[in-house]
Amino acid sequence: MVLDEKDNRSPWEKIGDYFSANSVWMKWYCTGCGAIEMPPTMTSRFDMERLGMGPMATPRQADVLLITGYLSTKTLRRVIYSYEQMNSPRYVVGFGSCTVNGGIYYDSYATINRLDMYLPVDLYIAGCMPRPEAIMNGFAKLIDMIKKGEARGWRHYQENYEWYKKNQLDSLGEVIIKDEFHE
Amino acid sequence: MNSMNSMISDIKAALSPLETSEPAFRQIAAVVKPDGIHGALAYLKNKGFTQLCILTCIDWIEDSQFELVYILFSWTDGIHIQLRARIDREKPFFTTVTDIFPGARYYEREVHEFFGVEFCGNEDLYKPLFLELWDDIPPLRKDFDPQAYSDSKFPMRENANEFLSMTGGGDDE
Amino acid sequence: MNAMNFVYGFLVLVAVFIFQTTLTGINRKVTARLQKRYGARWYQQFLDIFKAMRKDSTSHGWVFDFGVIMALGGIMATVIFIPVAGFEAFPGLDNVFVISYLLAVGMLGMAMSAAGSGNPWASIGVARALTNMLAYDIPLMIVIFTMIFAFDSASVGELAAMQQGMGVLGWNAVRMPLGGIVAVIALLGMLGKKPFDSFIAPAEIASGPMVEYGGKHLGFMFILHEFMTFIEVSLILNLFFGGGATIWEYMLKYAVLYTFTTIISGVMPRFKIDQAVKYFYRVPLAMAVVQGLVVIFTGLGVKIWF
Repeated sequence: MVLDEKDNRSPWEKIGDYFSANSVWMKWYCTGCGAIEMPPTMTSRFDMERLGMGPMATPRQADVLLITGYLSTKTLRRVIYSYEQMNSPRYVVGFGSCTVNGGIYYDSYATINRLDMYLPVDLYIAGCMPRPEAIMNGFAKLIDMIKKGEARGWRHYQENYEWYKKNQLDSLGEVIIKDEFHE
Repeated sequence: MNSMNSMISDIKAALSPLETSEPAFRQIAAVVKPDGIHGALAYLKNKGFTQLCILTCIDWIEDSQFELVYILFSWTDGIHIQLRARIDREKPFFTTVTDIFPGARYYEREVHEFFGVEFCGNEDLYKPLFLELWDDIPPLRKDFDPQAYSDSKFPMRENANEFLSMTGGGDDE
Repeated sequence: MNAMNFVYGFLVLVAVFIFQTTLTGINRKVTARLQKRYGARWYQQFLDIFKAMRKDSTSHGWVFDFGVIMALGGIMATVIFIPVAGFEAFPGLDNVFVISYLLAVGMLGMAMSAAGSGNPWASIGVARALTNMLAYDIPLMIVIFTMIFAFDSASVGELAAMQQGMGVLGWNAVRMPLGGIVAVIALLGMLGKKPFDSFIAPAEIASGPMVEYGGKHLGFMFILHEFMTFIEVSLILNLFFGGGATIWEYMLKYAVLYTFTTIISGVMPRFKIDQAVKYFYRVPLAMAVVQGLVVIFTGLGVKIWF
């Protein structure tokens, strides 16, 4: 499962990637902890807008799905919905230890252990929680990856959809949201 | 304003609890029989304990019993009262208290989901609340093994470099 | 009217897009400095628009797609009729009523498209936007009708030209001070700046009408927003602040007026929609009515002026 490393983008795609890299709009899916790390990153202390990043209100408008903290199975269904509503090119950033390997919830009956089994994660920011410096560093790396055309998770998701779908179904049973508010 | 002492003597006289104690400042705990819970809640609500803070459950697996805990709060007196009652773990049936506290509907669904206690009379009881598509014994029972469930459902990361090799990065880390 | 008019019209559109988008980028920097941040690059707005145009987008049916095109068409047509420092691509068509009716085509296209997405937040946002429009339009229209009555002209270009030659004292905002204040408050409402931005509140109704737009649709909406901003600021500038004798004067005044609204917006919280309506129907409406009575019955400021 190794992605092709050759840079076979057309000149138009390179220009497009330049724009994408310099205007990164995020949808924060603040599932558990982690939401509190974003305001300092956004406001005057660290000021992510100088890199062209900003928060967006809905997944349709966003380029990056930022998943902060642990994901319960109930939340993962909503996250998959949100991811599939986004327009490509789209990127996923896993944030915090819990998305990497489950973190302190490694043995929980309700939370998943590896986010990249279900969604194509382009970048992980490790830590529990990562400080705003680590977030800025991670996003600088993501911008660099987009510019070089290395952030190809969304293509990987399209090409290996069956693999992702199988993992989703194995862990979740079904991805359809059924609760009393969606009847 | 009722003082704590008069409140405790009131409770002893009216509810005939098996045991009372004061776990902390302005808190009263009382253990009652399971069939006394309904009357006790109605009595306390009339005494000004209008808020049901929480209804939860404890699994005493060695005694083969579930302990239901009702915590009430009085906004006029500023006193918490904790009512506890033990029911049989093998036959976990209890009556709903939604006729006294309508908000207990959600607490009862939660206890039903996590412990498997059935509250007769609560018509929403079988709707899923937190656990969607749950397929095992209720997860907060002491004989449930979360590690085994997690291992069977959610794959662990096998080795540290797997993610790096997948995306082609990692050389310059 | 010949082919050159259409070429001029096209050039106006391109120039307006570049000018307004640059100014929006600079204003993002101004907002950032107000908040003690470094802020985005001045060309960040261009990057955002081109990035959005580069992405794929999701359609929600033909009403959704057609509404975007209709809104953009209506707004671009309106931009061409706006007189800029005495220059008009189509001379003689710069009537206030032409502009306000053509603007409505764009607004309705946007409302139609947003409602066509089927998202409840979009419907709430559209309802709030139209309510907001009803709130600021009535005081503003009373002042504009007063002006039309006093000067016997409904042409935006003529009204702007009449104010020139006397320096600051010729501006309608000085001749009719209450009307000028009403116009600036209404401009805040028109532009959707705080405190009147409840219809695009991101945290409450997930950016309202914009909720289902993504990719190219969103890019079109951003371009639309730039043009709309130009129309609204230009209208107030021409009617109340004397337009401009030269293009440079016009651009300078425009930048100052627009940045002023941004600065107000940067330090304001947000009104709820009912509070905004109540506010507009209380203070600005009273000021507009008083201004109208003064001008119509005494001529103070128009007939009696130095």
